Amino acid sequence: MLLLERDHDLHLLTAALDEAAAGMGRIALISGEAGIGKTSLIGHFIAQNGKSARLLAGYCDSLFTPTPLVPLHDIARSLGGRLLAQLESDAPRAQLFATMLDLLRDPARPTLLVIEDIHWADEATLDLLKYLGRRFAQTRALLILSYRQDEVGARHPLRLLLGDLASSHATLRLTLPRLTLAAVRNLIGERALDADALHRQTAGNPFFVTEILSSNGGGIPSSVNDSVQARLARLSPAVRNVLETAAIFGSRLRAAKLEAICGADAETIDNAMRAGILEMAGEEIIFRHELVRDAILATLPPGRFRDLSRRVLTAIRASGIERGDLAQLAHLAEGAGDTASVLDYGPAAAKAAASAGAHRAAATQYKRTLAFAGAQPAAERARLLDLYAEQCAIVDNLAEAIIARREAVALWHEAGSSLQEGAALSNLAWPLVRSGQNAAAEEASQRAIALLEALPPTRELAAACRMQAHLRMLDRDTAPAVHWGKRAIELATRFDDKTTLAAAELVVGAALLVSGDDKGLPHFNRCLDLARAGGMDDVVGLAFLNMGSSYGERYEFDKAEALLREGIAYAEDCDLDHSNNYMSAWLALILLYQGRWSDAGNHATAVVNCPNFSLVSQVMALVALGRLRARRGDPGAAVVLDEALDLARQTNTLQRLAPVHAARAEAAWFEGDKERVAAEATAAYEIAFNHRHPWHVGEFTFWRRRAGEDIRPPRWCAKPFALQIDGDWQGAAAAWRDLNCPYEEARALADGDTPAKLRALEIFDRLGAAPAAQMLRQRMRDQGTRRIPRGPRATTMRNPHGLTVREIAILDCLAGGLSNALIGTRLHISSKTVDHHVSSILAKLQVRSRAEAAAAALAQGLVIQNREMAAPK
Amino acid sequence: MPRYVIERTFPNGLEIPMDAKGAQGTLKVVGRNAEQGVTWVHSYVTQDKKKTFCVYDGPTPEAIRKVAELNGLPVDRITEVRVLDPYFYL
Repeated sequence: MLLLERDHDLHLLTAALDEAAAGMGRIALISGEAGIGKTSLIGHFIAQNGKSARLLAGYCDSLFTPTPLVPLHDIARSLGGRLLAQLESDAPRAQLFATMLDLLRDPARPTLLVIEDIHWADEATLDLLKYLGRRFAQTRALLILSYRQDEVGARHPLRLLLGDLASSHATLRLTLPRLTLAAVRNLIGERALDADALHRQTAGNPFFVTEILSSNGGGIPSSVNDSVQARLARLSPAVRNVLETAAIFGSRLRAAKLEAICGADAETIDNAMRAGILEMAGEEIIFRHELVRDAILATLPPGRFRDLSRRVLTAIRASGIERGDLAQLAHLAEGAGDTASVLDYGPAAAKAAASAGAHRAAATQYKRTLAFAGAQPAAERARLLDLYAEQCAIVDNLAEAIIARREAVALWHEAGSSLQEGAALSNLAWPLVRSGQNAAAEEASQRAIALLEALPPTRELAAACRMQAHLRMLDRDTAPAVHWGKRAIELATRFDDKTTLAAAELVVGAALLVSGDDKGLPHFNRCLDLARAGGMDDVVGLAFLNMGSSYGERYEFDKAEALLREGIAYAEDCDLDHSNNYMSAWLALILLYQGRWSDAGNHATAVVNCPNFSLVSQVMALVALGRLRARRGDPGAAVVLDEALDLARQTNTLQRLAPVHAARAEAAWFEGDKERVAAEATAAYEIAFNHRHPWHVGEFTFWRRRAGEDIRPPRWCAKPFALQIDGDWQGAAAAWRDLNCPYEEARALADGDTPAKLRALEIFDRLGAAPAAQMLRQRMRDQGTRRIPRGPRATTMRNPHGLTVREIAILDCLAGGLSNALIGTRLHISSKTVDHHVSSILAKLQVRSRAEAAAAALAQGLVIQNREMAAPK
Repeated sequence: MPRYVIERTFPNGLEIPMDAKGAQGTLKVVGRNAEQGVTWVHSYVTQDKKKTFCVYDGPTPEAIRKVAELNGLPVDRITEVRVLDPYFYL
């Protein structure tokens, strides 16, 4: 077929393949509306370049609920070997993904990997692409992905992947435009057709244009559907039957199967091909275009649709069920209105999808099944609802998970099973607390325990105790959290329930650590061991997350940072995005406290910019950003802290409210609004006090005193805050220094004598804490202090090598080729002093000679702000 | 995209020569800015060349600070601003 106006795209793809062959893997995203010619472009590209690389191709099908990992199955079948063996032995996903990556790194031959129509991909396939995409630069492969951009709305799961891929330098985006009038004229050639009218009617959509040109009918039909219908009308009933059956069956099928299912002979099938509607692709028969298949399905009368679905279903059953066909069977059973088959295949397909990690597909399969389960006994419906709710919770569809669990609770009650009712109630608590309905979660959890305690001990009770412990831990109620957690550990051990055991160890560990008790550590380590041994990646991620943030909440930043960095590396390896984000948000906070503001800003910004549904990560990142902006005197502090408060109020927990209100109190202080300082510092004071949280209460008390309130800190108040409130600025400064919190240290020193104040100024200036420095300077002037240093030597901190202003001036002279003596004259210093500065510059720039320093200065633009020093006057 | 005025102090004065060297320097700044989605609109420089007021478009104050760091430029204060056009009211 003729390919028009795609030369530039072909050229870009060829260049990308060349780079891939040289060891710099590339990804090409080809997008455009249906019929724009994505497949044609890829087909041409393969025809031109296919021989220079190994070709692997996978297809996503347009079934309403896709079969998980279909493209990977396609590839494995064409490749055989290790990948196929792993797929057939149900190897874990991580192993399959790693094998696929290995194939793409093959040093012997570059690979051209094509996956088409990824707007229809299941989540397991999207996970595979995310996994590959993040590691693609190191492969010898070109990955071509095509999708219809008009099908990818704002909430489409593909959005996240596209965002992920777009940030990579390895990614090339090709958006295919419609044909121009000139191209349409070219296609019409000698035919007696009005090019303007054809271009207008088809809007330059290549498929529509060629469909009309090849239908040789008179006139121009108004849509693709009409055009296909006109073509179908001219075919014999036997051929139409084949086409309709094939359309019901799917987008790709083997000839033998089609014959068997339609009961048609080879000649009829050949006729369908000759009509230009079906064609061969390798050993499979496909529709010339999905649009043709859509057009056929769209006009099938409902009765006919049901009949054909039933026939296809029976035929597939008779031919034996193959692996991976479950989703298709469930789909057909629904089309056939065959309740028994839906109840059969739906849950089986759901289970297969869930185990491949395609939880959204699994949820849809359960939902489909439930629609047919109305006449089932209560217990059966309850069982399906529990399974449905579980999948919904995994994909963050919390509202639906809550509704389904509540229904399951009622049905189990009706069925008279208090064991299952209790289990469902306990599970209900999780989506409730995740969506910020903490009181309702607490009630569900308590009712669950009451029901289960009335029965002999069970593993369900173990899980319910673990849930209660988790709720107590989130509320920072240490003693009850540990009590319920230990109960869960004991029961889970008795019933050998490793999942509950690992989760319970984690809860006890977190509850102890966050309250300052290092006895939590062994619990964490046991959790890590269990999770690693059991392949529970997400639990490993959670353990790091909880340990790191627990130490962070206690201002033990060195330990926190080490754990969070290890956890982030682990989460990156396993693509655990939610854990990764939360840990990055906490890392931002920790870096802020440690005075590494620019790194803190990078981490916080990355989390805030990340398209993610996790409210808790956002809150912590916004707090870091708000504090950073307030301390720097940058604009936008109020905006992010307002957003943080909105989000924190949804959770209504100490864990979120306290950091947000503390940050807001600080910001109000810089604005000189003491009333608001007091209000913010009081808002979460009571709940912090009731939880005996030494750090939050310490900070709140500190701000309330600053705002003029006469309030005493409790005995258990965190030491540095207590010392400072007591007026012991020296002790407080030393305590903050021990914790490696330079800003807080300077804030304590600012309360001291003149030398202390001068040290505070130095720290504030070094950090870039303009508002605090300015307030302190003002106070010193008011107190009559003389010789207050003038202002931040901003350039010291702002250049990457940490050169001082003086050093930059000298470097500038070096770049101008001046000798030490001349530099000394110009800057009014001795040449010996110049010599001293020069060696310091060489060390900081890590170069050996003056010439190298001068070259580095020019190359890195280190001297631009002082150009006048070098420029002859 | 928000617009910011960035105040900078150059204790030794800022001089960008009107030649190829100067052009190279400013282009380097513009290039590094672009990597962070930041645009340098223009600057006002005091007579003694010790203070500048730079008008920038950028996504966040953090991005503004980041490019300042990469370019080795000092930052005293960042203020978010909007245009007020007196002739708009005529």
